[in-house]
Amino acid sequence: MPRPPAVPLAWSNLAHDRVRFALFTAGIGFAVVLMGVQLGIMNAMLDSNTVLLQRMNADLVLVSPTRKSLLFREGVNRRRAEQALEVDGVSSIEPLYVDYQLGMLRHTSANPGERTQTRRIRVVGVDPDAKLLNLPGVTADDWERLRVPGTALYDRKSRKHPDQVNHPGESVFGKLADGVQTELAGRDITLVGNGFDMGFDFGTDGTLIVSDRTYGAWIRAPYAAPGSDPLAEIDLVAVRLRPGTDRDGVQHRLQAIYSSGGDVDVLTVPEMVAREKWFWWSNTPIGFAFGAGVVLGFVVGLVICYQILSSDIADHVTEYATLKAIGYPNRYLSLIVLQESLILAGAGFVPGLLVILGTYAILTDITGLAMELTLGRAGLVLLLTVTMCGASAWLAVGKVKKVDPADVF
Amino acid sequence: MPSSLPPPGSPVLRITGVNHYFGTGETRTQVLFNNTLEVMPGELVIMSGPSGSGKTTILTLIGGLRKLQEGQIEVWDGDRGDYRKLLGTPEPELVHVRRLIGFIFQRHNLFDSLTAMQNIRMAQRLRDNERDPDADARELLQYLILGDLDIQGKPQKVRFYHKPAQLSGGQRQRVAVARALVNRPKLVLADEPTAALDANTGLAVVTLLQNLARTRSDEELAKLVRPDEEAGEAARLAPWQIPLLRSLARETGTTSLIVTHDARIMNLADRIVHMERGRIESNVVVAERIFVRDGLRQSAAFAAILPDEQQKIADELLIGVHPDLPVRPDQVAAHPGRVEVYEPGQDIVKVGDPVNEHSKFYLIRRGTVEVWRAPEGGALRKVAELGPGRYFGEVALLMDKPRNATVRAIDRVEVYTVDRLEFDRYKTTSRPFINRILENFSTKGEVPG
Repeated sequence: MPRPPAVPLAWSNLAHDRVRFALFTAGIGFAVVLMGVQLGIMNAMLDSNTVLLQRMNADLVLVSPTRKSLLFREGVNRRRAEQALEVDGVSSIEPLYVDYQLGMLRHTSANPGERTQTRRIRVVGVDPDAKLLNLPGVTADDWERLRVPGTALYDRKSRKHPDQVNHPGESVFGKLADGVQTELAGRDITLVGNGFDMGFDFGTDGTLIVSDRTYGAWIRAPYAAPGSDPLAEIDLVAVRLRPGTDRDGVQHRLQAIYSSGGDVDVLTVPEMVAREKWFWWSNTPIGFAFGAGVVLGFVVGLVICYQILSSDIADHVTEYATLKAIGYPNRYLSLIVLQESLILAGAGFVPGLLVILGTYAILTDITGLAMELTLGRAGLVLLLTVTMCGASAWLAVGKVKKVDPADVF
Repeated sequence: MPSSLPPPGSPVLRITGVNHYFGTGETRTQVLFNNTLEVMPGELVIMSGPSGSGKTTILTLIGGLRKLQEGQIEVWDGDRGDYRKLLGTPEPELVHVRRLIGFIFQRHNLFDSLTAMQNIRMAQRLRDNERDPDADARELLQYLILGDLDIQGKPQKVRFYHKPAQLSGGQRQRVAVARALVNRPKLVLADEPTAALDANTGLAVVTLLQNLARTRSDEELAKLVRPDEEAGEAARLAPWQIPLLRSLARETGTTSLIVTHDARIMNLADRIVHMERGRIESNVVVAERIFVRDGLRQSAAFAAILPDEQQKIADELLIGVHPDLPVRPDQVAAHPGRVEVYEPGQDIVKVGDPVNEHSKFYLIRRGTVEVWRAPEGGALRKVAELGPGRYFGEVALLMDKPRNATVRAIDRVEVYTVDRLEFDRYKTTSRPFINRILENFSTKGEVPG
């Protein structure tokens, strides 16, 4: 006759008192939320600096090795960039210009008395025909209108005006809409189209997209040597490949071409994104501040979980001693504690995740930072939760191993 | 295939020279002193003694719940057909020893988060069983009056799926008893198992332990089944419990070591082990005690003295082995001067042997002897055969004359012996009565001496 099925002891011990179990779940859930929100804010801040890169329609990107962040100014010489066309498989190259320093946008109000200070804005210059940026909401007509010098597409998600009660829907630059006229870098500019969604980052409060011609004339020309090509230095070069071409192979060949000069890096878009994030992670307090927040949440959860498991062991010490006395090995008791910790992890994670989603929505609404809970990030929070509870189980197992079966008599 | 019971005549539990200490360094205190004990399969052993005498400590050592420090404890492992020696046994093997044993604790120690059935299943998960686990657990709980019938046979609420908080103290204890017995262990260690039980359920538990030890006759069980009005203060079993008891105790040979002060159980014991200050002061097989006392009482020399004195003499002869079982040489050696063993054809006493300080009185424990006597001037002729419980050798000691008969072993014979010094000590206690007996002997001469 087979042995009877296993008794769900770990679950029964935890769920036996429903009120206590709800409190346990809330405790672990609190730690989950703490970790999730800290991770969310950190990722949102890092993401905000890479949105432009992620919107690029490019197979490979040429960038200066010294340009560790888009904030810097080092570019790739146009002639060096054109050498990429000699490589088999390369279909075209498209320049992308981006500036963080010179693009000062005047407040858009026609009434000088209502204008606030002129603020810095990120200016991106592209060939309107190149379809280099993937911007949902921007129509072919918008790109067509961008051909006219002195026009710009605007970012609907520019930093909001802090007083939304008196300035509803306005950005810190004032009202952004089709036909609005203002000044960019001291020269007239007209906003066209219905805008796009990109968001602000650490360096700027929003983005304007202009044609390469406008960019050259408005941003570069004032500082270029007379007679020189203001667009000779390209910030990012988008390399497009012929359909069916092996991207890794082309990347290797390009790297071979540029390796001798050491003045061009050949990266994929994800590699560019990673490089940008790493710069902000390692050169600003973001990593430490929010990493510490995650660690704090982890430690809080670890302590809560340990307390739950310890009190469970203390409450059931005679029963555990009885199990040992009737022939259960320490291994089984340790497994019960581990099971309890995993149940707590699962029970705390699910409601915690729902709270995280709600918190992300609220924070996104308040700050404008795009907080996204991707599957990978949810997985990371789950992994942290399981590790946290598993570690507390590992600590608590010592207590259950010390239970003396002789105490039952 | 290994036998679940040890070979005939071998104990299920052997304790040899066990010492135990608590504490270390200067606070080290000895709590057990050179304890030796053997327990045979199917015995109901009661351990008695005052608080702090070491009963519980020895129980925990037998159960492998503490590390054995000195001496040896051997527990029969029916799974592998050999003894498990506990001295120096590592923890994983001790875990296996614990699985051989059914523990009944004074406190129920049930998991409050599990139902009665689940608590029992925790034990069932540890060993293979030929029975259907759920049906067996239900049958046990039903027998222990946690099913749909009460002791009167009236319907009651089934408590199989109740958690401990929904059960009374006695009901919890019965679930704990079921958990201990569900795997039909061959050794049960129990600490006051009936303390929380009423008379009827206490009787049900003890009767189950008895029947797991050996099958009781229908007549024996019938005595326990009586109507309420007839039972009065005494405990009883319900008629519907008997078939369940038979079904539950299909396999026998279970030995129970019970620490208890419950007189109801003590009266049912096969062996009573009394401890004082960490020592086993007495180890009495009840059947042997009765056998020896009744055997001695047949002799006029002993019948003439007070019952308490009779019992003292009897107790000094005991070797702690049931009279149905043959003694082993080591048991004879462990109790020098109490039992002698003779092979077939061997003379135990001979006609004309002088009476001196080495002469003895004999009580036959096992086997049969033949008595040869020579009429005056005639040849020896066989006059009688004596079996277990009969005595000889008394007359020569009483009359201080040479032996008047030859007593020879027909088969292997075991005899209890009382040496002359001891015999004379009691002879003096009732001199006038013995003198009258002696007159009888001198005229009739029926008893070989």
